[in-house]
Amino acid sequence: MMWLPHDPVLSAALACATLPFLSMAVILIFTRPYQRLSCAISVGAITVCLGCALYLLITLRHAPAPVEYQWAWIVSSDMVIPFGFLLDRLSLLMLTIVAVISFLVQVYSIGYMHGDPGFSRYYAFQSLFAWAMMTMVIAPGMLQLYIFWELVGLASYLLIGYYYEKWSASQAGKKAFVMTRLGDIGFFLGIITVLLGFGDLGILHMNHAAQAGDIHPAVVTLGAILIFCGVVGKSAQFPLLTWLPDAMEGPTPVSALLHSATMVAAGVYLMSRIFPFFAASPDAMAVALIIGTITMLLASTMAFVTYDIKQVWAYSTVSQLGFMVMSLAAGGYFAGVFHLTTHAGFKALLFLCSGIFIHEYHTNDMREIGRGGGRKLTIPMICMTVGALALAGIFPFSGFFSKEAILGVLAEHPNKLFLGAGLLGAAMTAYYSFRLIFFILFPRSTAEEASHHEEAHGHGDDHGGGHHGHVFWAMAWPVMILATVTLVLGFFQNELQSYLLALEPASHGHEAVEHGGHGVGHYLLLVTAVCLAVGGVFFAYLEFGWKKATQEGFLRKFPAVETLFANRWYMDHFYRKALDLLVYCGFTNVFTRNDRRVIDGGIDGICRFTVGGGRAVSFLQSGMLQYNLVLMVAAVGVLVLVFAL
Amino acid sequence: MTAMEFAQFPILSAILFSTLLALLVILFIPDDRPKLVKQVSLGFAAVGLALSLYVYFAYDPHKGGLQFVERVLWVKSLGIYYFLAADGINVPMILLTAVVLFTGVLTMWELDKRVKEYFALTYLLVAGVYGVFMSMDLFFIFVWYDVSLFPMYPLIAIWGSTRKEYGAMKLTLYLLAGSALILPGILYLWAVAGGTTFDLFELQRLGFDVQVQRIAFVMLYLGFGILAGVWPFHTWSPVGHVAAPTAVSMIHAGVLMKLGAYGILRVGMTLCPEGLVYWADLMALLATIGIVYGAFVGLAQTDLKYVIGYSSVSHMGIVGLGLSTLTVDGINGAVFQMFSHGIMTALFFSAVGYIYDKTHTKMIPELGGLSKTMPKASAFFILAAFCGIGVPCMSSFWAELLVFISAVKTYPLRGILAVSGLVVSALFMLRVVQKTFYGEKNPKWEHIPDVPLFLASPRIILVGILIFYGLFPRLILDIIQSAVVPFVNSL
Amino acid sequence: MNSLSVYLTVAAVLFSLGLFGVLMRRNLIGMLISIELMLNGANLNFMAFNRFLAPEPAVGQIMALFIMGIAAAEAAIGLSIILALFRRLRSINVERAQRLRG
Repeated sequence: MMWLPHDPVLSAALACATLPFLSMAVILIFTRPYQRLSCAISVGAITVCLGCALYLLITLRHAPAPVEYQWAWIVSSDMVIPFGFLLDRLSLLMLTIVAVISFLVQVYSIGYMHGDPGFSRYYAFQSLFAWAMMTMVIAPGMLQLYIFWELVGLASYLLIGYYYEKWSASQAGKKAFVMTRLGDIGFFLGIITVLLGFGDLGILHMNHAAQAGDIHPAVVTLGAILIFCGVVGKSAQFPLLTWLPDAMEGPTPVSALLHSATMVAAGVYLMSRIFPFFAASPDAMAVALIIGTITMLLASTMAFVTYDIKQVWAYSTVSQLGFMVMSLAAGGYFAGVFHLTTHAGFKALLFLCSGIFIHEYHTNDMREIGRGGGRKLTIPMICMTVGALALAGIFPFSGFFSKEAILGVLAEHPNKLFLGAGLLGAAMTAYYSFRLIFFILFPRSTAEEASHHEEAHGHGDDHGGGHHGHVFWAMAWPVMILATVTLVLGFFQNELQSYLLALEPASHGHEAVEHGGHGVGHYLLLVTAVCLAVGGVFFAYLEFGWKKATQEGFLRKFPAVETLFANRWYMDHFYRKALDLLVYCGFTNVFTRNDRRVIDGGIDGICRFTVGGGRAVSFLQSGMLQYNLVLMVAAVGVLVLVFAL
Repeated sequence: MTAMEFAQFPILSAILFSTLLALLVILFIPDDRPKLVKQVSLGFAAVGLALSLYVYFAYDPHKGGLQFVERVLWVKSLGIYYFLAADGINVPMILLTAVVLFTGVLTMWELDKRVKEYFALTYLLVAGVYGVFMSMDLFFIFVWYDVSLFPMYPLIAIWGSTRKEYGAMKLTLYLLAGSALILPGILYLWAVAGGTTFDLFELQRLGFDVQVQRIAFVMLYLGFGILAGVWPFHTWSPVGHVAAPTAVSMIHAGVLMKLGAYGILRVGMTLCPEGLVYWADLMALLATIGIVYGAFVGLAQTDLKYVIGYSSVSHMGIVGLGLSTLTVDGINGAVFQMFSHGIMTALFFSAVGYIYDKTHTKMIPELGGLSKTMPKASAFFILAAFCGIGVPCMSSFWAELLVFISAVKTYPLRGILAVSGLVVSALFMLRVVQKTFYGEKNPKWEHIPDVPLFLASPRIILVGILIFYGLFPRLILDIIQSAVVPFVNSL
Repeated sequence: MNSLSVYLTVAAVLFSLGLFGVLMRRNLIGMLISIELMLNGANLNFMAFNRFLAPEPAVGQIMALFIMGIAAAEAAIGLSIILALFRRLRSINVERAQRLRG
């Protein structure tokens, strides 16, 4: 490795792509019994990675062309699958996001997972995830991306099922793996389509050729739609969205890291990674736009009725991912990536805050957290409100800027239906996120619960006071950092935009709204959106916050609709039925019977025939030696007669 | 000792005859010294492993072709040669055999029933396997092939479990039926070529008529295919795996099934390329059915070993699919899959072996929550399952990738079907993992100790190999490729 | 009637008696003795032909000695089989040994 010191950029990238893997290996093989050491190794590795990522971002921020390193990973006939790094503006931005959030979550986990028997295992899996995600982000080719994409899925499976002794957790892990696998089959076939139709899987080459029209349009469309299947699976888009809410069975920091901020955003990242390729196929873009819209609206409705604090954020993640997909599909490259960035910040913030509540009150139910005195935990309460404001898109929080950008893109789209859907989605988001906030801020207790209430209060206070040790602060610091980021990030919109777009002249045309700045239409849109968001918050206040509010929600008046939402539009029932009917009772049953009855039956039949045939003629065998001898003598006699005469 | 001198040393014969020597030595150890038998077995296995590793490292993929050639005329009138050689296709197979034998001996360290006979028969079996992999002479390939079949019957019928007589008998009958097809196939080719040589490469040079190739290929394909678990001749394999003792399952599923695929490639495809072209369509169809079918049937099984047996059917289907594509990528993938599937199933059976030894059951509904009591033992099975699902950075992923890419290219519809089989295989592997290892701690198994380091060592080796070749696939793929590229070009 | 045919007749009678014994006796020892009779009948034939017809006198005698050797070996093996059978069945009646009945 003599060449390492000569190229600091390469060594930094290599560090990101190897250190977490090594840390995982070391933890799993050697340091499992030593929890503190394992934790130190993992956090140390991710800190170095964070440093490297920041270093790369800073050194390469003005780089005129993407920096690319490649080595042949496998060579088979004329197909070369490279392993390498592609460091351009987008990948560096995403790398930094992943490193920052991973770092914060790992620090947070020191407190959250404190005393858990599987502490070492937890950090090993976290390292696995960090490794897979960072290597995926800087992949130069689609196959490397796919490989680490699958590994990220594996890490997700392991972390969702982290509490493996809980049946529902392992069930959720399995569901997540299989459902994303379903999408990945499409992704894989899409890669093969591109490989066969174009012959090169380098991301830059693909983008370039698609833009220049060097690839057959049919190949582009088919490839893009198939690759989009992978996005649907990983980013939990309709119709594969139900695994994500179930994935909340994992530890809360995992939900924050994987299932909101980074991993599920991988789908959106993939879309933006090969954005010019997608953009070359209007049909694929239309499909993506429709799917994104359906997802966004569907997931928001589901968030209206659940009382599980993590479920609300899960549904909102799905819905925000749908929002990003919409933006990209409508041509808003920057808006999508910008929302991805801000969302990573504020959604991680929301989850980590919820984690503090859950850790404190040992329940996921927002009503019980409220009754237990959730608002007494000042730091997380304030931070969570900051996150919710950002999610709802209220000025001056980061979500406001990115949402405005997306709405601006949608306004440009000829079909105004999508703009309407986007605005409706914004209002719904504000409503359900503040429904949660108000539940915790203004708890209601029924009369018979009053005594419990007091007790719970005292209990909560005790906890609050007692936990202001390192455990609490390990959780509080990351939260406060994220809250600050959420507050300021929005004001860096222009910087981010010029940083990202310097390399994407292709999408300039689509970005007219953001570039052209602030026409009258834009102001109108801005005001409408903010009004809708504030309206949503106010409506939530009327129903849940206000003193005379019933805390029931308007949906209580439409029980049928409420059941529909609460059952996730019966999508899970549908999948369950389909799985039972098609797989278990269908193919499996038929094939198993075929194996037992037809194939084995046939073979056993042949054997039985042989045995039976033997038995049928076995009466000839008397077992008497002398009968055989008589027969022999007689036969010799006959032979003598025949030949002699 | 210089490299030249070492090249003269008949290393392949040394590997082959060290197993026969082991067999002899074991036979001369008194019955009441089982410990000594095990130590001797392990010693010889280690020697074999070291020699195979030497072959693996000394084989020069840039030069390619046959290396370490040993060729002696044996019976002149029939044209039988004692002809051993290594090329890119059998170098990984030899390594695989050595690894599986070594880990298999370690896995059976706690055996206490007729130890001497068990290890003697194992060595006879392995001698046959080595013989088939190394021989380049049809006569010897057939002889060694039958040598490797014979010990299976006693090994299963004496040391097995669950319906062992039935399993042993079924397996033996099936495999003998296979060799009853292979022998006439070989003799037919030999006779058509003039009855002067059994040398594989001389026969290849002589060439055969298209019609002859078509007939001979289908005989060889079915004969070897039975051993490779080609659908619909696969049912012996789950039953046999279930009945066999742990290490025999390892050798059997890990190595013996590869013998079938290797035979198709080495004998069938080398001598009858035209026949292959003619039958490739059918091969691809059967292989695809096998992939999907195996996964679905695996979903319904309740016995851990049945599950692995059916996963083998599915994975061997991938080998068949790769071979039938007739492309460099496909055959590369197929050979790679033979190697990694061998290691993977060995790991599977080894992991189940420990669980079965301790709990005396391998029924999934009776198990459950094992991760709590034996985290290490469970981890090995779970890792094998990940490999079976085709998780990247484990060696079988690369094999599947290559096979699927070339399959979609050559047979789009069947390729897509086979790729979709991945979802089912993920579902069924994870289902087994969940039901066996996850969930509440089961009080029944609470007293069971986790694997001690020594017993874990074979599993650690296997896991290490899977991950090592998953991260650095070129180390083996380049060797395979050195043989496959000229082979495909010669078609 | 010349002297050769006398020998041949005696030999034929011996052989037939032996064959009759093997086929009819149920006692294994008896069967073994009968086989000896048959062998001796054959022996007598060899000697007679040797004496009256063969130009080279040694060949028939060698055959006779050879057959005697075989008879001795056969008796030894036969008796040991009978002994083993007796240990198992407590009888040397051949009707008791009918395991191979279909």
